[in-house]
Amino acid sequence: MNDDAMNKNTKGDVDIAVRSRLAFSSNAMQALYRLLAATLLCAVLASLSDVFLTENNILNVLRQTALLFLMASGLTLVILTAGLDLSVGANIALSACLSASVMKATGSASLGVATGIGCGTFIGLANGVLVTALRIPSFIATYGVMWMLTGLTYFYMGGETIHGFPPAFRQLGSGYLLGIPMPVYVMVLFLAIGTFFAQRTIWGQQVYAIGANPVAARLSGVPVHSRLVLVYTVSGAMAGLASLIILARINSAEGDIGENLTLPAIAAVLVGGTSLFGGSGTVMGTLIGALILTLVLNGMNLLQINASWQPLVTGVIVLVAVWISTLTRQSGE
Amino acid sequence: MRYLAIGLTAAVMFAAGAGLAANETIAVFTKNLTNPYFQAVRVGAEAAAKTLGVKVDQYIPTKPDSIPEQLSQVEDVIVKKPDAIVFIPVDYKALVPAVEKINAAGIPVVNITDRSAGGDFVSFVGADDYGIGLATATDLLKAMGGKGNVIILEGVKGALSNTDRVRGFNDALKEFPNVKLLASQPANYQRLQALQVMENLMQSFPTIDGVMAANDPMAVGAIEALEGANRKALVVGINGSKEAVELIKSGKLLASGDFNGFIQGCIGVEIAVRNLRKQPTPRELILKPAVIDTTNFSSYETPVEARTCPTLDQVASP
Repeated sequence: MNDDAMNKNTKGDVDIAVRSRLAFSSNAMQALYRLLAATLLCAVLASLSDVFLTENNILNVLRQTALLFLMASGLTLVILTAGLDLSVGANIALSACLSASVMKATGSASLGVATGIGCGTFIGLANGVLVTALRIPSFIATYGVMWMLTGLTYFYMGGETIHGFPPAFRQLGSGYLLGIPMPVYVMVLFLAIGTFFAQRTIWGQQVYAIGANPVAARLSGVPVHSRLVLVYTVSGAMAGLASLIILARINSAEGDIGENLTLPAIAAVLVGGTSLFGGSGTVMGTLIGALILTLVLNGMNLLQINASWQPLVTGVIVLVAVWISTLTRQSGE
Repeated sequence: MRYLAIGLTAAVMFAAGAGLAANETIAVFTKNLTNPYFQAVRVGAEAAAKTLGVKVDQYIPTKPDSIPEQLSQVEDVIVKKPDAIVFIPVDYKALVPAVEKINAAGIPVVNITDRSAGGDFVSFVGADDYGIGLATATDLLKAMGGKGNVIILEGVKGALSNTDRVRGFNDALKEFPNVKLLASQPANYQRLQALQVMENLMQSFPTIDGVMAANDPMAVGAIEALEGANRKALVVGINGSKEAVELIKSGKLLASGDFNGFIQGCIGVEIAVRNLRKQPTPRELILKPAVIDTTNFSSYETPVEARTCPTLDQVASP
């Protein structure tokens, strides 16, 4: 590898390839552990509740998982680069409210969809520019953007609620195709796209490389800034998409619609085994993380756990899951 | 209407910034910009101020229900020395030191909506969460014919309003022994969470006849979940929001407990002004619980901006 004749770029590519192969096998193990944990959780819930394994409840859990996954999927790419997007919930709120008022004004579902995704994407792009061009740490940049978006949303809505959307639009959240809820199809589609992008494209591998070592990545010729702008834009676009699913499900929008959404999305990514330090994790892991968190809430409702205990149970699950991934990562190194 | 409200607030803020002191100035503290309830309080305060010929300055934390932000707003206001303050603490315990600072500065303060755990107030004006919970739940249980299965959707655990409302629900249930409480689960006052909790609970319970939600957004979430599963149940919420009134009109929501923010805003300012003008004021005024349902929703269809304040005498006489 210390061959002087070797072109810098080629060397970089080899480095990335080796690193990503290593990362991939460790990632695969991580995902496997998580799948086992989710299966174990299912077994426990099935033994405690006789309705847990009914077809209806399984579809119900999948539909709820889909929403959390969509919020967390774009965020996964951001965290893979060792960044963070704290504006997801606030982005969802503004995208949902703008989309809702466009739909209300025009009666057009497609204009509403375009507005929601457009708004989310634009916000993501702005995050990307703040992080790269202005070199503001992502934690701070997206934190600031979160406040700005929240303010804009409250100001725009002024305490009002918009409700009642076209039936065609509502299908996106509450419709079924061949007996399966629509959001589940959206989840599978984006799982496939996300996994393909991250594992099978050069750009995806560059995202891992940036997270593992940004300096090495830059020296190896990875266009760090444009890849960073890309991941923040994707995270924003996915928030825009998630906002549409939420709108379609609850049939209304209000200023605080994004409250309490960011932290569960981050939790899904972390429980899914992606490291906050970047460079390791998978989109599939995030899906399993979203599934675990959803199962916990579903299980607590089915078993009617007292309201006071529910946050505690969620907290313990998050800590245990992240602890396991720290252990497995250390043993893998 | 939304723009009108924003315009109004902006105008008030501008006036405050420019220091245009009209007669007496009353500083009004509310918890956030998001909940329509506090919007109604502010509109009520403005309406009363107009009638009484005083000026109102609004103080609202930009981050909803932020304790530090309201603390610093109180400090700012003490420096500006308004003639009186109408105060809703974002937290009934954490803001006690702030109230004590207002007391020390000698500014008279009227407490509305959430009763502060300490400090000296001219009076307290509030609706009674427990009474509203009880009345709203009783409305539902009667409509169910005094039998069947119900679910309670709780708000934020630890919030005083939630504790009292849920206690009201449970006490109403005691009067109807043939109604079974299937589950009481938290959805944190959020509609998406209510939707998902309801979806989960419907798996466990094939027959749900009634849902008691501790606020209107959760009631709406429950209605969406029921419709999505093609199931039917009677649903009640609390707040008497505009959305709730529309849903009662269309028959989707059975009833909503009225937490009349407009009247509380009106009466809060009126008592503050009466106190300044050395007129008698009550130490405490608890508005009678009212439930909006199909029999009376039409009187609530008038938007708050177009309503007129009742006088203290009207509200005080039973």
